[in-house]
Amino acid sequence: MRYELLIALRHIKARKRQTILSVAAIGIAVMILMVSQSFMAGFTQELYSKTIENLPHVVVSPQDDEDYVHLYKNIVDKINNVDGVVASSPYLTGEASFKFKDNTKNAAIKGIIASREDAVSHTKDDIIKGNYDELTYSDKSIIIGDKFAEDMELDIGDNVEVSFPNANPVSLKVIAIYDTGTELDSSLAYTSLKTAQDFYDTEDVINGISLRLADFNRDREIAQLIEDYGYNAAGWTDNNPEILRTIAIETVSNNVTLGFILLIASFGVVSTLNMVVMGKVKEIGILLAMGASKSSIRTIFLIESGILGFAGAVFGTAAGVALALSIGSYPLPEGAYGIDTIPVVVRIGDVLTIITIVFLLNLLAGLYPAQRAANLDPVEAISTH
Amino acid sequence: MQQSKSSPGSIKKKKTATSAKYGKAVKKRLSKTHPIVQLQNVKRIYTLGENKIYALNGVSFAIKKGDFVTIMGSSGSGKSTLLNMIGCLDLPTSGKVKVNNVDLSKLDDDGLTAIRRNNIGFIFQQFNLIPTLTALENVEIPMIFNGESSAKRRKKALAMLKKADLPLEYADHKPNEMSGGQQQRVAIARALANNPPILLADEPTGNLDTKTGHNIMELLRELNAAGTTVIVVTHDPKVEEYAHTTIRIQDGEIIG
Repeated sequence: MRYELLIALRHIKARKRQTILSVAAIGIAVMILMVSQSFMAGFTQELYSKTIENLPHVVVSPQDDEDYVHLYKNIVDKINNVDGVVASSPYLTGEASFKFKDNTKNAAIKGIIASREDAVSHTKDDIIKGNYDELTYSDKSIIIGDKFAEDMELDIGDNVEVSFPNANPVSLKVIAIYDTGTELDSSLAYTSLKTAQDFYDTEDVINGISLRLADFNRDREIAQLIEDYGYNAAGWTDNNPEILRTIAIETVSNNVTLGFILLIASFGVVSTLNMVVMGKVKEIGILLAMGASKSSIRTIFLIESGILGFAGAVFGTAAGVALALSIGSYPLPEGAYGIDTIPVVVRIGDVLTIITIVFLLNLLAGLYPAQRAANLDPVEAISTH
Repeated sequence: MQQSKSSPGSIKKKKTATSAKYGKAVKKRLSKTHPIVQLQNVKRIYTLGENKIYALNGVSFAIKKGDFVTIMGSSGSGKSTLLNMIGCLDLPTSGKVKVNNVDLSKLDDDGLTAIRRNNIGFIFQQFNLIPTLTALENVEIPMIFNGESSAKRRKKALAMLKKADLPLEYADHKPNEMSGGQQQRVAIARALANNPPILLADEPTGNLDTKTGHNIMELLRELNAAGTTVIVVTHDPKVEEYAHTTIRIQDGEIIG
């Protein structure tokens, strides 16, 4: 064992109270860091699962100057063969006027193939009433959002009149009601692709294809691939920039806060070690007189700050993980926030990163006091203290 | 430290002109034996605001190998400064200090550390043991700096403690569990750790009762008889009785 380590350990052991206090100071900062990192990861994951999981990852739209995609079956086949695409859902969407009793409303109507739309956007999961699959085998049926139903006083089994200029008016039966918790609930109704094509009098065309990808982070890359086939395609990051923006803002503000916390913890180490150096002036002088080199003295104090930092990081991370998990398992009042518990995700990568960064920051913070100790004048150190 | 580090360069030039003069003076004081410590016109000036304080004002002398020297002077006479010079803890503002024939002004920090480590054993009035280490570990410290293996260190440290007449049951005691005399014995054992040719003691009996002080001086005498050069700084006339040579210093100058 190198003697610098021996002396550093002796210092740490001899000052139990200060050691505990400085480890606790670092530990608390690291704990906060770990908890908020877990919240951040949980929030991001929750946001992803609430939004991107249910969003089409890529949307294909008609070529420029075209209103529709013709001969779409070929295209859909082609797109299905693109590596990374796991599901595709052709659709025909447009505006329509709805009328039930004395209530009227303008909203979007989207003609879909029920099973394929579900494969892309998990539409079936949002059904709160009725049977989603009925859309497949019963013509002239419609699925509406809960807000839509409320506005129009509609319920399962009611027939709603649908019309639009240049369209063939039709009466559609409500077979299911969905609730996504978004504004779509009042502004979008689903029908079968066939019904939509009949309504708009456009046989065998669609005006978009939704895609689901194995990895939603590849959306831009795959959109580009499809554009190379001659269609317009855009990934979710282009269609929903607000999601990325939300995550980016959260991440940045989170990281800035965490940085400040770490800074405070590191300053704690600087001041603790400075106090140690002041208290050890005489001893340092003696060591220098006994033949210790300046670099040995510096090493002793660097080792001390490294040990304090590492201990603080390990304890803080352990406490942080425990705290985060216990907060994460605390049940929220039912239905209050749309989630059962606060989303918390502890990633081993985060744990290792935090420990490493805190350890390195503390070494850095120890540099100044260590240098101060090394530069002490042995004569003054021994005689004046 | 910085001040003194930068000054030697300029001193050297001045010195060559005067060295002939002081060289003679030094020779006169010396016996034929090779001097182990040699000071030539050493000045140490502290600047306090506008005032210059001459802690040492042109001190020259030589100490031959195997001598037992006391440096006598009242407090503030400059004797501690002198001790720090000989102990390679401080460098002169001007003049030359040679330890074991090495000119200290030519050395950098690491060089000074090496000279100190291999030539000087320090004994202080306040013992200056490291409070968190045991007697044995305190003695091991200088050997550690010298890169000796742990087994060898332990063996040698025990031998040194024995040489310093510390009962071996105290080897595992911390300094605060020992009497002043025992602590000073540990300090002497520590000073002997690297077999330095010079023992430098600063008022080694100052914190001890008369009897213990006498025992410690006897121990130093034995070590001197075995060949170690002993230099003791003191203002205690009783200590002087043990010495072969006495250097008296007053107001930064040698008076006899």
